Amino acid sequence: MGVLLRILHDRAEAEDALQEVYTRVWLRAGRYDATKGRGMTWLIAMTRNLAIDRLRMRVEQVADEGVAEAMVDSAPTAEGTLVAQGEARRVADCFGQLEPDRADAVRGAYLNGQSYQDLAVRYDVPINTMRTWLRRSLLRLRECLDT
Amino acid sequence: MTDAPLTPLEEDDALAAEYVLGVLDLAERTGVDDRIRRDVAFAARVAAWETRLAGLNDAYAEVPAPDLLPQIEARLFPQAAKPKRNLFGWLAGALAAAAIAVVAVIVVPGTPEPELLATLVSADQPLTFEATYAEGTLTVTRTKGDDAGTANDYELWLIVGDAAPVSLGLIDGADITRAVANMPEGAIMAVSLEPTGGSTTGAPTGPVLVTGVVTKV
Repeated sequence: MGVLLRILHDRAEAEDALQEVYTRVWLRAGRYDATKGRGMTWLIAMTRNLAIDRLRMRVEQVADEGVAEAMVDSAPTAEGTLVAQGEARRVADCFGQLEPDRADAVRGAYLNGQSYQDLAVRYDVPINTMRTWLRRSLLRLRECLDT
Repeated sequence: MTDAPLTPLEEDDALAAEYVLGVLDLAERTGVDDRIRRDVAFAARVAAWETRLAGLNDAYAEVPAPDLLPQIEARLFPQAAKPKRNLFGWLAGALAAAAIAVVAVIVVPGTPEPELLATLVSADQPLTFEATYAEGTLTVTRTKGDDAGTANDYELWLIVGDAAPVSLGLIDGADITRAVANMPEGAIMAVSLEPTGGSTTGAPTGPVLVTGVVTKV
């Protein structure tokens, strides 16, 4: 529910999405492969996917700049609440090796569901520049996280 | 940091990461969804990124969820609340040709009394499967017709209400037993002919051979 509220910013829609999450869990439980990851990771990945799909649909329907603005406001809290233990610490360490604004962009995208367009507006750069930045940052993260 | 162009593998991996991160627009996400279903190697890249970035999940606050069970049950088992009207497009043809299953009581000695049954038949197929469900276990037996041959497999599907078909796996040999958590009365079971190894898309790709409705004993 926390994931849905954070990405969708709308309680009614989050509740509706939560019903869909539970329904999908029920129908797809057979496809959950315990050897490939933990249940919570699987569940959150599925929940995020659903929330982001809804968000993109919504943005495309109304083309509302306000949605992007609303998300920018909540971005900085992502940093503060990053719990530094276990996997989370590892991720934090690797994020620490990126330039701070790029690390923020990656985190903001993951936690708040920001699109390239939202990020380009926020950092005041063209979308293509944003994409190049982010892709490089992601590949560097992978290098760090996989070693 | 170098600015050399990404190699094709790096491109793939960057796309997988962008998908997991959620920065793509709707059209791009739909494209990636398709690719995940078709391309196992790419799907593995996506899964790897989900695991890598899972360390960020702690930043999501836990928010108690409201009690949505009644609504969720209504979604999962719509036929309990309202009579089923329209079936899926892909089933429509098969159903038109198919004789809808007639209830047949089968009692297998030594096993629990079946709670639910389905006979999967079709008017134009020399093929019949009998399904029984008891205590969370589904048993499906081919009672008439030949196996799928070396180039094909039979794949079993469950369709609950208006949801998309869910694969219950391949029917290899004359019978299979599966643990199925939920088998609502009124659900539809179907067997499709798939390439060896089964459908790779998560939905039936071959012809639907036989169908049946799950009924109470």
